[in-house]
Amino acid sequence: MTDPIIETHDLTRVFDGVRALDRVSLSVPRGTVLGLLGHNGAGKTTLVNILATLLPPTSGTARVAGLDVVARSRDVRARIGLTGQFAAVEEQLSGMDNLVLVAKLLGARSAQARRRADELLERFELTSAAHRRVRTYSGGMRRRLDLAVSLVGRPDVIFLDEPSTGLDPASRIELWRIVAELVTEGATVLLTTQYLEEADRLADTITVLAGGSVVATGTSAELKSVVGKRSVHLTLTTAADVDAAAAGLRGLGMQVHTDAARATVSTPVDAASDLAVVMRFLDEARIEFKELDLTEPTLDDVYLSLTADRAKAEVRG
Amino acid sequence: MNAETWRGCGAPRQIAVLTVWCLRTLVSDRRVVVFSVLQPLIMLVLFTQVFGAVANPANFPPGVSYVDYLLPAVLVTTGIGPAVAAGASLVREMDRGALTRFRAMPLGLHWVLLARSLSDMSRVGVQSVVLLASGALLFGFTAHGGVLGSVAALLVALLVIWTLMWIFIAFAAWLRSPEIMQSIGFVLVFPLMFASSAFVPVANLPGWLQVVATVNPMTYAVNAARHLSMGEPVGTSVLLAITTSVGLLAVAGFLAARGFRRPLTR
Ligand SMILES: Nc1ncnc2c1ncn2[C@@H]1O[C@H](COP(=O)(O)OP(=O)(O)O)[C@@H](O)[C@H]1O
Ligand SMILES: [Mg+2]
Repeated sequence: MTDPIIETHDLTRVFDGVRALDRVSLSVPRGTVLGLLGHNGAGKTTLVNILATLLPPTSGTARVAGLDVVARSRDVRARIGLTGQFAAVEEQLSGMDNLVLVAKLLGARSAQARRRADELLERFELTSAAHRRVRTYSGGMRRRLDLAVSLVGRPDVIFLDEPSTGLDPASRIELWRIVAELVTEGATVLLTTQYLEEADRLADTITVLAGGSVVATGTSAELKSVVGKRSVHLTLTTAADVDAAAAGLRGLGMQVHTDAARATVSTPVDAASDLAVVMRFLDEARIEFKELDLTEPTLDDVYLSLTADRAKAEVRG
Repeated sequence: MNAETWRGCGAPRQIAVLTVWCLRTLVSDRRVVVFSVLQPLIMLVLFTQVFGAVANPANFPPGVSYVDYLLPAVLVTTGIGPAVAAGASLVREMDRGALTRFRAMPLGLHWVLLARSLSDMSRVGVQSVVLLASGALLFGFTAHGGVLGSVAALLVALLVIWTLMWIFIAFAAWLRSPEIMQSIGFVLVFPLMFASSAFVPVANLPGWLQVVATVNPMTYAVNAARHLSMGEPVGTSVLLAITTSVGLLAVAGFLAARGFRRPLTR
C-alpha cells in the first residue's frame, strides 16, 4: 500500500500546563476520511491546527503528504485546505472576490481564477449570491463559501474542523454530500466532530479523542464490536414475569436492566451462546415474551463508555 | 477534469495581489475616502487658525509666513493618525477573515503586513498631496524650496510615517490587544505630535519639554521636511531623519514579521 498521507507520532501540545494533546499517534491513508470524534476540549482543534501548520507541537512529529509540518511548513500549506471552526472569509468582499483573491495568491492568472471561482460557486450553490458581500450571507452560505475557498487550489488534504456545527439539518446533509464527493475525487479528509452520526456517516476510520489522548481508533463497526456489546431486549406480558425474568437472569450472572412501565427486560450479550442461555432460561421458567430485539450498540454507547473509562482513569491517575 | 493545481506564487506577485486587495478594501469604504481628504484640510485650518494667531511673525524670516513654517510639519504629523490606526486595525482583524486563512496558505505572512502598510501609505500619500495642494491654493503656502524641495519634504515625511507605522504594526503583532494598542496610541500620539518642533521652535518650549522634543524622532523628521520645503540649508537634518528612520524601519519590520508569525491562540 502507499504511505499514509497524514501521520503523527507521539504528538503532544501543552498550553501553560494543560495537555491539550497527549502523545497522539495516528495514520491516515490517502483518499480516506478520518473522523476525529470528541467532546469540547478533547483536543480536536489543537490537532488540526498542528497538522495545518498553524501551531507547533510541544513534542512529537507530524507529517502531511510526507512533509514534516514544522520543517516544511510552507510546502505543507501548499497541499492542504483548512476550514476552521470560524469562517475565514472577508465580510466586506463578495463571495466571488474571496475566491478570486485566494486563487490569485495561489498562483492562478486572473481568467483562471475567475473560472475556478465560478466553478466552486456553482458547486456550492452560491452562484446567485456571487456578487453580494459576504456580510449579507446566512450562516450556512458562509460555511459553504469558507469550504469553497479552502478548495480553490485543489488540495490533497482537507481539514474540516467541526464543519457542521451551527448548520441546519438540510445544510448538514448537503455538506456530507460534498465531503463524499471530495473523497471520490481523490482528496483525503480529516474532519472533527462532536456528532457520532456524522462520524458514522462520513468517516472510514474514527479516532476518538478524550482529554487529548486517543482512546480508540477503528471503523465504526470495529469500535462497536470491540467496546460495545449487543443487547437483548425482551418485552414481557406481566409485571410478575418482569420480576421473575430479572431475578432468574441475575441468578445466571447477567447484568439486567428492567423497565417496569414497558414490561421490558434488557441484558447485554457477548456471543450467540449468551443468547441461547437467555432463551433456554425463558423456556424453562415458562415466561412468555411478546417481543425479542437484539440491538447493536450505537456509537453513542461506544463514545460514552470510552470516555467514561478515560475519566475514571484520570480520577485514579 | 484534473485541472490546474495551484501551489503558490512568488513574493512580487503575492505583494501585488495583497496590496491591490488592501487598497480595494480601503476604497470600498467611502467614509474612509472622504475622511482621508478632509482630515488634512481640517488639521491645516485648525493649526493655522489656532497657532497662527499666537505665532510671532518676528520669529520668521521676511517673506516666510506661519503656514510656510507649519505645512511641512503637518505633512509629517498627519501621518501619526494613520500609523496608529494601522496597528489598531491589525489587532482588530488579525484573528478573523482572510488574515486567519493566510496562515494556512503558502504565503509569506510578512508580505501581508507589507501590503497593508503600502495601502495605508498610499492613503497617507494622497492626504499629503491634498495638504500641499490645498495649502498652496487656499492657505497661501509658498514653497520657498521650490517644487523639488516640497517633493523631497514629502518623501522624507512618508518615510518617517512608514517607519512609525511599522513600529505600531510591530506593537500590534506582539501585543495583540485592542485595549493596550489604544493606550499606547493615547500615550504616544500627543507627545510625538506636540512635544516636537512641529508647531513652535524647540527653543521656545519650556526646558523639560525641550529635552523631550530633542529626543522625539518627529522633531528630526519635521526639521528635515521643513528645511527642504523652505529651501533652507539642510545641514545634517535630512541625513539624520533618513538614517534613524531606515534603522528603526528595519528593526520594526523584523520584529513585526516575527511577532505576526506567532500562532494565534484563542
Ligand atoms: N491557546 C490555548 N491556550 C490555553 N489552552 C488552550 C489553548 N487552546 C486550547 N487549549 C486547551 O486545550 C484543550 C483542547 O482544546 P481544543 O483543541 O480547542 O479542543 P476541541 O477542539 O476538541 O474542543 C482544552 O482544554 C483547551 O482549553
Ligand atoms: Mg475545537
